[in-house]
Amino acid sequence: MRSEFVRIYKAVHTWTGIVAGMALFIAFYAGALTVFKEPLAAWASPPVAGRMVPLADTPKLIAGVLAADPATARDFTIHMGDAEHVPGRMGWQVRDTDADDHDESSVRHYVGTLDATGQARIEASHPSQLASFIDVLHRVVGLPVDSDPNRWVMGLVAALYALALISGVVVLLPSLVKDFFALRLGKNLKRMWLDAHNVVGIVSLPFHLVMALTAVVFAYHDGIYIVQDKFVHDGKWGTAFQRQQPAAAAPGRDPASMLPPLELIARAQAFAPGFEPTALQYQQVTGPRAVVRVWGKDAAAVSPRARGGFAALDPYTGKVINSDFLPGRQSTPNLFVSSFFALHMAAFGGTAVQWMYFLLGLAGAWLFYSGNLLWVESRRRKRPRDGGEVPAQRRDVRLMAAATVGVCLGCVCGISLTIVGAKWAYALVGDANAWLLPVYYTTFFGCIVWAFLQGAAKAAVHLLWLAVMAALAIPLTSGLAAVAPGLNMWVNTSLSSLGVDITACVGAAALGWMARATARRVRQGGADSVWSEGPQPCLQGGVPGVGVQAK
Amino acid sequence: MWGGGADMADPALRPIQRDWLSKTLAGLVLGAILALACSGLFARLNTAMPLGVRGQLAMWMVPPVWLGVLGGVYFFSSGVRAWLWLGAASAFVTGVFYLL
Repeated sequence: MRSEFVRIYKAVHTWTGIVAGMALFIAFYAGALTVFKEPLAAWASPPVAGRMVPLADTPKLIAGVLAADPATARDFTIHMGDAEHVPGRMGWQVRDTDADDHDESSVRHYVGTLDATGQARIEASHPSQLASFIDVLHRVVGLPVDSDPNRWVMGLVAALYALALISGVVVLLPSLVKDFFALRLGKNLKRMWLDAHNVVGIVSLPFHLVMALTAVVFAYHDGIYIVQDKFVHDGKWGTAFQRQQPAAAAPGRDPASMLPPLELIARAQAFAPGFEPTALQYQQVTGPRAVVRVWGKDAAAVSPRARGGFAALDPYTGKVINSDFLPGRQSTPNLFVSSFFALHMAAFGGTAVQWMYFLLGLAGAWLFYSGNLLWVESRRRKRPRDGGEVPAQRRDVRLMAAATVGVCLGCVCGISLTIVGAKWAYALVGDANAWLLPVYYTTFFGCIVWAFLQGAAKAAVHLLWLAVMAALAIPLTSGLAAVAPGLNMWVNTSLSSLGVDITACVGAAALGWMARATARRVRQGGADSVWSEGPQPCLQGGVPGVGVQAK
Repeated sequence: MWGGGADMADPALRPIQRDWLSKTLAGLVLGAILALACSGLFARLNTAMPLGVRGQLAMWMVPPVWLGVLGGVYFFSSGVRAWLWLGAASAFVTGVFYLL
């Protein structure tokens, strides 16, 4: 390849990377945690008693709730297994019709229970939105609300990310064989960071290509469908997902005559062995188009969504109506579509793949951080070899270094403190969900301001220690709840909830190692760098005494 | 490589113009048309597939083709050649789509 092309693509890589890098760091760090959305929800869910009505009583529960509130027939869910984040045996949601489809904050949640006399009771429930909050940060690159415009911003970032991947490969290709098998540890630190950046980028390239392309689709699918409907589908796209009208509308079906949940699950499992149902979602049960979606997972198959897939059954006859979304029983074209979702959301291969995605996500976050670091180091002003004065670093380079440290560590600290805050706010003020957003953004912007005031070098050390403490606060909060019940907090002891505490401990240890290494660099490393503690707070122009005004 | 033509004897010696704006616009505009035409061709050739899933696959085709074109467009030796080659490719695929 001609070296001119390499130079052109290097410019593409630099500009796409520097524009999208920090947003991508947030998307990947929050995304890695979102892989374990359910354990996070379990960790943050306060205990509730008496909401898991025995399975055998479920038909009575359904009939009682539907009699008390007929509108519930539109959509409700029967949860099979118990877990800390399961609201109860029977739950449903009421959405604000004005709100965005993806906006979870305006949804009201209810559960149905049976009292001691067997009467159905309806209660409002307030599930923790911690896991959804982190998911929203992931889906819209750190913006607060998952709305259409914010997703378009995310899509633009994802498109730049795709270009950065393509251009990065082009730049690396001519020297791939030489560079790929080399991680040159040693005096040339920039060379080492570049080698590491290249190795991580190439090894996880398939993962990143999948993420970039699926994220662009998640942002712009509505627009693409509208254009394709006009030019390709001749305006018929709207009819693609309509079910056939039943021949004769049978009004007023009695939901008491539906098959019991265990029978419906047996039908689904007979249809798809290996499928493990977790919930039954009933829709329009009193109408002519009654359907129950038997949701579940199959670790040996591809699931079309993060929460698994479903078989659509007729709740009165148990007949399978639709298996387009059933793991293991999809047609080949549907399997293709599902695999795009599954490859993005780690919805295949069970827990092992989830951990792999967690690590790939963190590695991705590091990739963007290291990319910004290489941008900074490429613009370093070195002290002349024969000694002489330490040159002042360029102002734009100092600002970029501070922004990178502030945004990346602000996100890490912010998410940890938001997790901790979910439990403390519940204990102290009751409504924990209202505090998620203020805690996160206060921490996030506070870290950014601190980074600009102190300069990248000092702030990196401070903020890394803050990140260590914030991560440690997660297991400490659980421990405190265990020894001091009077605090009105709780400790959930399921494996997935304890897994959050253990992972936070490991994360704190890793951050502590980074903090020590960074502190050493700041004290002992060469002074001709933004990573040295020399008197270079980044909001000031030059260095007093040196007399070189950075331009 | 890309953009090789008969008008010059040795494409390896042709100077490469950066043409950032015209190449990027060619990738954005003609990449979109090419991607849409390819997805349309896919839909036309797979009418046996139910509309629901055929339409989804056609939608999923658009970003990879579009971004693939946008990612490769800087290999053209000039913005003009990018517009000519991608324009011809778009016209061809769109033409086949409407003829089928």
